[in-house]
Amino acid sequence: MIDSTTNSRFSTKQLIVIYTIISLVGLLIVWELVARFTSASMFLPPASEVLAAFARSFVEPIGQHTMLAHVGVSLYRVAVAFIFATIIGIALGVGMGYSKLFEAIFKPIFEFIRPIPPLAWIPLSILWFGLSDTGKFFIIFLGCFCFITVNTYDGAKNVDPELIGAARMLGASEKQVFFKIVLPSSVPYIFAGLQIAVTAGWSAVVGSEMIQSNEGVGWVIIRGMSTGNTVQIMVGIVAIGIVGFALANITSALERRLCSWNAQKGM
Amino acid sequence: MQENKQPKVQVRNLTKKFGDLLVLDNISFDVQAGEFLCIVGPTGCGKTTFLNSLTKLYEPTAGEILLDGQPVDLKKQNIAYIFQEYSTMPWLTVEENVGFGLDIKGVEKSKAQALVNEYLDIVGLTKYRKYYPDQLSASMLQRVVIARAFATQPDLLLMDEPYGQLDIQLRYHLEDELISLWQRTGTTVIFITHNIEEAVYLGQRILVLTNKPTSIKQAIDNDLPRPRDIASPDFVKLRNEVTDLIKWW
Repeated sequence: MIDSTTNSRFSTKQLIVIYTIISLVGLLIVWELVARFTSASMFLPPASEVLAAFARSFVEPIGQHTMLAHVGVSLYRVAVAFIFATIIGIALGVGMGYSKLFEAIFKPIFEFIRPIPPLAWIPLSILWFGLSDTGKFFIIFLGCFCFITVNTYDGAKNVDPELIGAARMLGASEKQVFFKIVLPSSVPYIFAGLQIAVTAGWSAVVGSEMIQSNEGVGWVIIRGMSTGNTVQIMVGIVAIGIVGFALANITSALERRLCSWNAQKGM
Repeated sequence: MQENKQPKVQVRNLTKKFGDLLVLDNISFDVQAGEFLCIVGPTGCGKTTFLNSLTKLYEPTAGEILLDGQPVDLKKQNIAYIFQEYSTMPWLTVEENVGFGLDIKGVEKSKAQALVNEYLDIVGLTKYRKYYPDQLSASMLQRVVIARAFATQPDLLLMDEPYGQLDIQLRYHLEDELISLWQRTGTTVIFITHNIEEAVYLGQRILVLTNKPTSIKQAIDNDLPRPRDIASPDFVKLRNEVTDLIKWW
């Protein structure tokens, strides 16, 4: 039980850290035991072996690069696509939320594209862009752009009409209403969207690299599969998990920084 | 009222229909510059429709409203509007909220900052200037809104039951604050309320409205000396007088 009222030697915060460590260590132990002492050992390398290989991957290259460079390549791909997705997603979302005309024109198209999983675009992207990075940007862009658009759209739709009224009463022009009320009050929604999108983009990069690549974390996994190297597959998975976790935490820290006014509402 | 100078606000035959429903029926009155006018009427009598016509949120069906002899134009003329909801911008600090109107109107930065400082001081929020609205109490929020309105140095200040949701003690306090701000700045104020006591306490003149379709039942001059005492016989007498006018049943 985590209970701050008990006379514990640890604070609630410390307890949370302790339990997190216990949970992770527990997982590794179970994994290790299952891999060593059951028939699963045929497909599942033990945790100790994977972690050792993971550590080694930072010094010994897998293919052309060490792990750090693979992660770097993948992050670069996500970053480029994410920047485009952010710009276009925010513009489209705010536009649709604010202008009925804009909404009528773009919403049907957007709603059509939205449910298509990014991986479904891979064959087309190969035909259109070949095996270049452009195709990967395209896939990742599709993977994160919808989340940004939807959230921004929600934010712009949910602007408190009282605030718009108050600004109009003070003599605000349409442009001022847009930039001084609609946009800032959508910021928490936009951030929620960016947070989901960054994780989704990271999943999409892995998908796109699994099919058409010779570097990046997705390639590490697919290469492991084609050479029957289970350890390498697991190493790739561990890397993806750690980076994804880090990305989610960085964006939420950024959100707390930039939207401190909204902190109490716990968006 | 003596008519030797141009009134600040002239309302001429103001009529508003929603479809067939007549809400405002041929209302005419003047407000002098620097006057504190209270408008009271039974609940649902169209007070808010009246205000919304005044601020051009609704186009009146007939009649006109002139401010300084000109038709109302929110972009040119400076009308401030305070209503029950606090309408502070949650992403701006207290200081930025008070300066919001000045920012919209493009007032030069250093001049705006001076005005913001002045009004923060007047409403006693200087200490809280860096706080966000989420961190403030209801009375402080209402003060932010009042400071924001006065800081723009409006030609006309419209207040629509601004204290309707506050408890009595707080209301008394904010009413006194409002009176002293008004006396200090000479702003023309139209204050709409359904609270008769509040109207008698605040108003230099009280317009009593009828039930729908709304017209003016009577205008009462209120020259009780300030600060007013709500328990004094004169106050009670006037309050009863207004109450009798409002009883339409």
